[in-house]
Amino acid sequence: MLGSGLNVNTSLFSHLWETVLPTYVLNTVYLGFIVSFFAAFFGVTAAALITQTNIKAKSILRWLLMLPLAMPAYLVAYLYTDFLDYAGPVQRFLRETFDWKTSEQYWFFDIRTLWGAGIIISLVLFPYVYMLARTAFEQQDQNLHRASRLLGLTTFQTFYNVCLPLARPAIAIAISLVLMETLADFATVQYFAVNTLTTAVYDTWLGYGDLSAANALASLLTLMVFFIVLFEQKARIKQRHQSNRPNRGSHVILLTPLQQLLANIFCWSLALLGFLLPLALLIVMAVEYATFAQLDALIDTGFNSIELAVYTATIATIIAIVLVLYKRLHQDTFKAVPLNVSGFGYAIPGTVLAMAMLATFGPIDNVINELATKVGVDEPGLILSGTLFAIVFAYVVRFSAIANGTLSSGVEQISQSIDLAPPSLGVGALKGVFTVHIPLLKPSIFIAWLLVFVEAMKELPAVLLLRPFNFDTLSTHIYQLISDERLEQGAIGAILIVAFGLIPIIWLNKTEDNE
Amino acid sequence: MTHIINIDQLQVKFQKNVILSDISFSLKSGEILGLVGPSGCGKTTLLNTLAGFIEQDHGSIVLSDSLTINKENRIPTEKRNIGMIFQDYALFPHLTVNKNIGFGIKNISKPVKEAKINELLTLLKLDGLGQRFPHQLSGGQQQRVAIARALAPQPKILLLDEPFSNIDSRLRNDLMIEIRQLLKSLSMSAIFVTHNKDEVFTFADKIAVMYQGKILQFGSPITVSQFPNSWQVADFLQLGSWLPFKNENTVIKTAIGTLQSNQSNYIDKEFLLIKPKDIEVNLDTPTKQNPKNVVINHISHTEQGYHYIVKSIDTDSYLSFNRLSFYHGEFFTIDQPLSLTIKPHQLLMF
Repeated sequence: MLGSGLNVNTSLFSHLWETVLPTYVLNTVYLGFIVSFFAAFFGVTAAALITQTNIKAKSILRWLLMLPLAMPAYLVAYLYTDFLDYAGPVQRFLRETFDWKTSEQYWFFDIRTLWGAGIIISLVLFPYVYMLARTAFEQQDQNLHRASRLLGLTTFQTFYNVCLPLARPAIAIAISLVLMETLADFATVQYFAVNTLTTAVYDTWLGYGDLSAANALASLLTLMVFFIVLFEQKARIKQRHQSNRPNRGSHVILLTPLQQLLANIFCWSLALLGFLLPLALLIVMAVEYATFAQLDALIDTGFNSIELAVYTATIATIIAIVLVLYKRLHQDTFKAVPLNVSGFGYAIPGTVLAMAMLATFGPIDNVINELATKVGVDEPGLILSGTLFAIVFAYVVRFSAIANGTLSSGVEQISQSIDLAPPSLGVGALKGVFTVHIPLLKPSIFIAWLLVFVEAMKELPAVLLLRPFNFDTLSTHIYQLISDERLEQGAIGAILIVAFGLIPIIWLNKTEDNE
Repeated sequence: MTHIINIDQLQVKFQKNVILSDISFSLKSGEILGLVGPSGCGKTTLLNTLAGFIEQDHGSIVLSDSLTINKENRIPTEKRNIGMIFQDYALFPHLTVNKNIGFGIKNISKPVKEAKINELLTLLKLDGLGQRFPHQLSGGQQQRVAIARALAPQPKILLLDEPFSNIDSRLRNDLMIEIRQLLKSLSMSAIFVTHNKDEVFTFADKIAVMYQGKILQFGSPITVSQFPNSWQVADFLQLGSWLPFKNENTVIKTAIGTLQSNQSNYIDKEFLLIKPKDIEVNLDTPTKQNPKNVVINHISHTEQGYHYIVKSIDTDSYLSFNRLSFYHGEFFTIDQPLSLTIKPHQLLMF
């Protein structure tokens, strides 16, 4: 992709550069700032209220605040536009109440702007910050809080001077994750007609048909992602303040009744706006408009999604097992390299990955077809770049990190001496892996498979670019309906996507309770 | 006489369980108290209650004869002016040594604060380390920073939670002596928790032996070890071995000889505490008065000679025993029978 990007057709690219590209780049940067700011504000405040104060309904809010992560941003964007625009129930209600006739008689904010997109994306991504900050606060050594109190600081001063600085690396990691997701977002900004680099890649390829210009833009996007990854790695190095004496509720800031009320309003609003209200709107839509014809379309696209997700999950899990066990059981200096390299894919936006697939497999397909002609066989067509192969390949690259992470933590639970037991009993290495390690890893293998499956069910931008003609998945189907302003006809499918998104969150919650 | 801390009938409950009860003692300025006892006896709970991490249910804590803390008047930790040194030091990992030490110094100008930090750096032999972060220091240096940080706000009293447990045993004794001298030079009172009785004898002026949430005995280490008031105290401090006995008026009979006592009422007493120094080995040919009465079970080698653990030859009678320990310069062998007698001494029975 980088190679193809360097051979860019200069006339189109310079045309883009002179006209729209600076706006695209600026929009991308602005969007990044808006989302980081709001996600950090929402996430850190919520985490602080849940862990550091005596806020009421803590046990419910604890997990409720994670749920917005299950909502695709583009769905929320559509639902809120529908809800808040001129013909929507909110403005209708206002007009009826105040007897306004036209939109000129009153001001109402326009959600379909850069700011609107930023706030909506942060509403569904803030749980990353919330979860990591919450864990960071809870894992802090209780004695550090005690030492601060003994040295004369109140609980609030202790939070500001000790807890918050200690959680800074975790918050930085979370914000870099949020930024990666923001750069990867395609559908929300596309729907709001906010032109960012991601939409530019898409338009350049599908609109102008210029693959190398699209690749050049994708390379620019990759560069941005690269800086975020660097930032994230730097933050990770600093994260070594965790303790085995976690701090759970021993030093809480006692809220006054007014503070208690404000804190509750804040947390409940986040849960409501990020999850409960969009879900309710979807359910209302489904109840009002569901038909059997929709169900047929749903079953077709649903099967396509499941097929893709099963291939992806299975391949990614097998690769992860091999790489994780290779790292564990080999002694050489570079044993971790394959595992680490395979994890980078997660940072790359689906659009960029799709471009990379086209740039890689397109030429290979051409070579295969030329060879076929020479040998005298029928041309097989685009057997790599034009089939499910490219999509599954892109998915595996993108989601390998999830499988790797799950299996790595699974393997860490196995004691090092277990590795030595099979050879000491005269059992060969490979047999040892199959009779000892893999059975012990069974739960992790299952979870890794499930998490990749769910992510693959939800992924949108990569399929949009790579799908064969007339091939639709659940998410492209929903996205198509959203583009045509008729989500009503796919509300059940949308609920299904949300339901799939809830699976990993429920699992996260469960493992946390076990700990 | 002013007391730096005066505790009266302190009680702490957790849910329905009584964790601490009837804790009363006081310390004078500059006194160092060692809290000892088996694990789970409430030592750390007592320390945490004094620091204000745990609320008391009954009784009072009076600091410097002026600040009274009780159930009605709870004082938050930050207002108690108590310093604490944690077992793992709890240094703030995101702050330099200077900022750690300066963390609790408030309401003074920057130059005065810096001067104070420098003074503490010198006092604790940390010169030149002010800009480092905690993870760049050795364990001993980290502990010095923790002490400097705790001393900086000039607390009335210092609490130390197992302060020496993370220190290399070779350096431990020197460090204890050094910190004791430092505390004495500042007239700083301190309460420290340990499960190591040797630390108490080196570091403390007073000892409190705790058992099941109560203080069994409070006093100077020498008095407590000479006159333990209960078998738990003697047992925890490993003062000696336990011998069953029978008495006929003032004559005390044991499996290794008889002793003369100056009292005759030993109701409720079952065991005689025998310290190693009160055991004598008869190397002469055994006689009817001094027959061979024990056999050697275990031998360990120590700097003071050989440490023997023996059991009585007669295993049937009421007076037989399994474990008696003493030291001797001469080498005997396992299963060798010996003739032991007890030197006349002030008898301790429980």
